[in-house]
Amino acid sequence: MSADGRGSPIHQILPRLAWGDAVGNQVRYLQGLLRRWGHASDIFAETWDDACKDQVRPVRDYAREAGRDAVLVVHHSFESRLVPFIARAPGRKVLVYHNVTPARLFEGFERKVAAACDGARDELLALRPHVERAFAYSRFSAEELVAAGYRNVSVLPFAIDWKAFDTPPDPALHAELGDGCANVLFVGRAVPSKKVDDVLRVFTAYQKLYQPMSRLVVAGYLHRDGAYGAYLHGLKDVLGADRVRFLGRVSAAQLSACFATATTYLSMSRHEGFGVPLLEAMYRGVPVVAYGAAAVPETMGGAGLTTLSDDPAEVAELLAVMERNVALRGQVIAAQRARLASLSQDAVAEQVRAAFEDMLSGRSAPSASSEASAASVELVCPGFTVRPDAPASRLVRSLAEKLPGARILALRPRGAEPSLELGPENVGGVPVWHFTADQPPGRAPASLPGSSSLETAVRVSSAPVVLLGVDTEVARAVLPHVKERAWGAYESSLSGPSIEQARQQLGQRLVVLEPSRSADAVRALLGGVTRAT
Amino acid sequence: MRPEDLLTRAPSAEDVVRETQKLPQPSEEARESLRRSLEVASKPATPAPWPALLQEARGKMDSRYAEPATSHRGGLVGLALVVSKRAFRGVFQPFINEVLRKQVEFNESILDALATIHDVQREHVRTQALWRQELDHRLARIEAAASRGREAAPVPAETSTAKPGPTVDTASVKQTPGTSRGRSRRR
Repeated sequence: MSADGRGSPIHQILPRLAWGDAVGNQVRYLQGLLRRWGHASDIFAETWDDACKDQVRPVRDYAREAGRDAVLVVHHSFESRLVPFIARAPGRKVLVYHNVTPARLFEGFERKVAAACDGARDELLALRPHVERAFAYSRFSAEELVAAGYRNVSVLPFAIDWKAFDTPPDPALHAELGDGCANVLFVGRAVPSKKVDDVLRVFTAYQKLYQPMSRLVVAGYLHRDGAYGAYLHGLKDVLGADRVRFLGRVSAAQLSACFATATTYLSMSRHEGFGVPLLEAMYRGVPVVAYGAAAVPETMGGAGLTTLSDDPAEVAELLAVMERNVALRGQVIAAQRARLASLSQDAVAEQVRAAFEDMLSGRSAPSASSEASAASVELVCPGFTVRPDAPASRLVRSLAEKLPGARILALRPRGAEPSLELGPENVGGVPVWHFTADQPPGRAPASLPGSSSLETAVRVSSAPVVLLGVDTEVARAVLPHVKERAWGAYESSLSGPSIEQARQQLGQRLVVLEPSRSADAVRALLGGVTRAT
Repeated sequence: MRPEDLLTRAPSAEDVVRETQKLPQPSEEARESLRRSLEVASKPATPAPWPALLQEARGKMDSRYAEPATSHRGGLVGLALVVSKRAFRGVFQPFINEVLRKQVEFNESILDALATIHDVQREHVRTQALWRQELDHRLARIEAAASRGREAAPVPAETSTAKPGPTVDTASVKQTPGTSRGRSRRR
């Protein structure tokens, strides 16, 4: 990268520039770095917060002013309707993917947001032909890009302005919360995907079983007039927990007071593209207990306590032990400090610089690019590896043996790390493509979680699809997109709306799996799929 | 908690689990009470379809496009009218779209707001129903405890104005959700 100020212009585009959110902070940070390295760099957005009006320009200005030598960094995290504009815009384009929350996490509460999340995933696929390189802030997000067929995918380090956390605490709130109660803190918007309801459940267990003198503090925007806000307030009363404080949006000083008086930080979020508050808690010396969904284990990096169990009583044990055992608490805090050392601003800036240098020089990213699958049939069996003895797993094994060129797509086992190298792994003599689940797969009979990367891989493939377990989250998510080329199977003991929905979409292509007569199901599926191929 | 359910390097998962096992064991009653609370408060994530009473309005939300052109007149006159209407629409549709753009946005917003109110109402109704069930359960428990107490207690020899009543677990009887408790803070 040129250090003499004559580098190519590198501009950024996003749907909305907000003040204080993670995406907006990254955009501003990148702009600062790019300008420091001698590149002209502006931020273009469709809308923005008032506080950001001097930092941003309208999207339409970009097309007027940018030349063919410009590089456009496209930030994608939500539905934007910018894809046609980006497709027409001059210059090279690079994607920065912050991840999109799976729509299913908003089901039952926010149908408009759920639809927008689905739209954002469609846009992610629509952007693919227009970008030459893609970055993500976690391997979890990068895996989805690889599954979507993006070329040159790599992981960018997440930059955090640590000095912003050094604000002195608000004295009034500090005095109020620092009354000797054990404070359990959660910071973030109270939206269904953050599972504040599970935070309430865990806290209730903690208060009832271990520490009656405890308080839950939830700092972050809560839409009180929304269905989820009403649900949370109702839940609080039904659970009977005392001292639950929903603070709503707080100032930097109030947030400092929350952290300064917190005994433990608790997150039960089901989706994080990265998870800044977890690191903020680490920085402020508060032990973190977090449910290991999505990119949370990566963010934690082995520090804090990441639990794969969402059982309230079990997670409450961790809160109790963090409060009572001073030595263990000290070890956790020390490990958290060590974790932050790798995220110093200098180290991050150097890694970002290397990534952008590779991009400007046209060097390939270290990860393998993923071509569209050449499989003859996609055998989607999420539980193949985690539940090998389930009837669906046995059925898919038989199908794979009889269908040359077919590939099995399954969830990675609990605790396995996401990977940018998607390819066959041998599981009991059968090649299986593994994808990271959005949440840790629970033990049977708990239903299996969805997987954004697996679902994306199925969507981008053009091969016939066999969904083994149409009741699974993965099948529910992909079925509307692949129903014309899909077959499905379900265990005869199952019933419910997901089976009914699959029956409506698949009709005769839905096969019942009787454990005692699995050969019939194999024959029926083979007949249908063979005709299609 | 099992070690395989924890991802942590320092301290090790085994150390953490060992420490959790040293925690004082909560009473069986407390565990049972918690289990019941969590069971009552569990909510399956069910997709909420659009409320039926808003479906018709939703179908008419986009006022930019009219029904297909028709005419009640027959013959050539009717045909000419239909063609004229189609031609008018064809020529002026971009202007109609622009004139009605704000109206469509308003329609969308108002429908969203109504749907949200509907969802909030549904949530309140559900919570109230849960609360009633839970209250019934607690009352039944209290009555059972009281009757056990009556059976166990000796019959008093003389009538007293201050009869010992059943022991009421005041902590287990709380107000209906949504109503104010004296100590709660106004938000």
